[in-house]
Amino acid sequence: MNVLVLLAIVLFALMAWVGGMKGVRSFIALFINFLIVLMAVFVMNDPSGNPIIIALIAVGFISAVSLFFINQVNNKTMLAFLATIATTVILIFFIIILTEQSMIYGLGEEESGEITTFNVHIGLNFVQIATAVILMSTIGAIVDTAISITSPMREIYEQNPEISRKDLFLAGIRIGRDILGTSTNTLFFAFFGGYMGLLIWFKDLDYSVGDIMNAKVFNDELLTIFISGVGIALVIPIAALMSAYYLKKKKKDIVLEDNE
Amino acid sequence: MKAWLKNRTKSQIITVCLLLIGFIASMIFINNNYDLYDRTIVQITDVQEINREDQVDTHGNKDEHVTQHIVGEVKNGPDKGNLTKFDNEYIQSLALDYELAAGDEIFLAQDGEATGDIKRDKYFVFVAWIFLAILLAVGKSRGALSALSLLVNAVILSVALDIYIQHPSISLSLITLISIIIFTVLSLLMATGFNEKTYTAILTTLIGTGVSLVIAYVALQFTAEQGLRYEEMAFLTRNPQTIFMAGLLIGSLGAVMDVAITLSASMFEMYEKNNHISLETLKKAGYEIGKDIMGTMTNILFFAYVSGSIPMLLIYFKNAAPFGFTVSMNLSLELARALVGGIGIVLTIPIAVYISIFFIRRKQAKL
Repeated sequence: MNVLVLLAIVLFALMAWVGGMKGVRSFIALFINFLIVLMAVFVMNDPSGNPIIIALIAVGFISAVSLFFINQVNNKTMLAFLATIATTVILIFFIIILTEQSMIYGLGEEESGEITTFNVHIGLNFVQIATAVILMSTIGAIVDTAISITSPMREIYEQNPEISRKDLFLAGIRIGRDILGTSTNTLFFAFFGGYMGLLIWFKDLDYSVGDIMNAKVFNDELLTIFISGVGIALVIPIAALMSAYYLKKKKKDIVLEDNE
Repeated sequence: MKAWLKNRTKSQIITVCLLLIGFIASMIFINNNYDLYDRTIVQITDVQEINREDQVDTHGNKDEHVTQHIVGEVKNGPDKGNLTKFDNEYIQSLALDYELAAGDEIFLAQDGEATGDIKRDKYFVFVAWIFLAILLAVGKSRGALSALSLLVNAVILSVALDIYIQHPSISLSLITLISIIIFTVLSLLMATGFNEKTYTAILTTLIGTGVSLVIAYVALQFTAEQGLRYEEMAFLTRNPQTIFMAGLLIGSLGAVMDVAITLSASMFEMYEKNNHISLETLKKAGYEIGKDIMGTMTNILFFAYVSGSIPMLLIYFKNAAPFGFTVSMNLSLELARALVGGIGIVLTIPIAVYISIFFIRRKQAKL
């Protein structure tokens, strides 16, 4: 049996066991997101399209699937979605400038060795593709941080509806501070886990600090981690502010209705 | 500005000043560190495009071959201060080469006649500062600890790999296991301090990682790794399987820690808001949060791994490689990493809920 199929079955069983129907939906969402990525790659095959726009559209779909399909449309997913979109829009400009300036596009020397039989001059814009890749690498973390703020904030609000808007916001920021480090850590370990081979290769070939700090692959990887960190840090106050404002506004409406 | 200053404590103002000085000093340094490099650095002063030709490959992919005439100032070495001229050739899609503009700083190739690489250290340092600044702005001292913990983890990883390379007799698995314990304890202590929610998260992470390690190992053995293509790691002179397995564990560690701390932090926060909350309510709330984050957490790893393959997927497709071959060559390792990470994430949820409840019950008993 194929190891990927077996691992997928194990993941599905665990998700269904721990999460019930929501777990099943989470698994299906993962699968749909995989299809969205493949679709995006197919569309990027057309040299006349702009990979950044394609990635932005894909990111919108991915956030919608990750939030609404798994949890249905409710106030916490809607808030997380809006916070994600706001953060992505702010972040994309930063990524575009950085990719162009630091020239981290295309393939590194270390990667290009494996495809000697292929032509890499394929008429696509690798600068825009690199921007798209960074954005898409980051989106999972931003969506997750957004829902990790809005979901417990609603729980806190429901456990204690008398909480003031300011305290609710501060509770959100406090949760954010707790997860800020571990969210950046998540990506840090994910990337380093994925690039273990490359890191060992750097060490085996005795790359100097200067060589590593200017190497394309290394910069690509670390700048992605930094940009993700900036995205995660940005989405925390955005999501907390939106949630505190929205949940307390809803509360006021209920009070008004009671008075009538 | 005045009102803002009034609301800050002295130590905050001092911190901001120190950071600004650090930022300015390091930016000046990194923009003038040419003499630290052996490779010749050239700052481009003038660029002229002297030729542009269309080219079409056997699969009908259109591209353009461009030649730029470059004039630049040598910034280090014996020719420091002199002007140099060379031609920079690039293919418009920029898969391997660079389009240069005035102001760019590059390393010359060995022969001095072409572009070797780009001087990227200044961007690296600049973005690191932006990252630090925004972490501090949102997270305050907690943000500073997060940044420090990333740095410490990077150093530990580097040292661990050095030990692996210099002492071939010590197995990578052992080094990885020890590193994982150090990573977990340090990262979580630095993230949330010495308290019950941290101990809960540490315990949860170690158990969660241990169980997912066993599952991944059994799955790989059971299927004899059928479906995994290690060609992607072909540049390695070492056994790719072992390195892949170590990367698998380290790669999912961050996500498992994230789930553990998110759950324990939220459950302890609820307990602190209402000391007499029933354990049943807490458990239900914990599972509710777990179900909410399970999907998005698995997505983090999925996108972090799979997105990086997009350029390579495009190259394969544009070279008319078959779909199945393309996906298995470029995505099999990434998908395996994402799936094993997902298994770790999901397993960690019930573990985190029960360990949190165990600690909270002890606190409630003391009331």
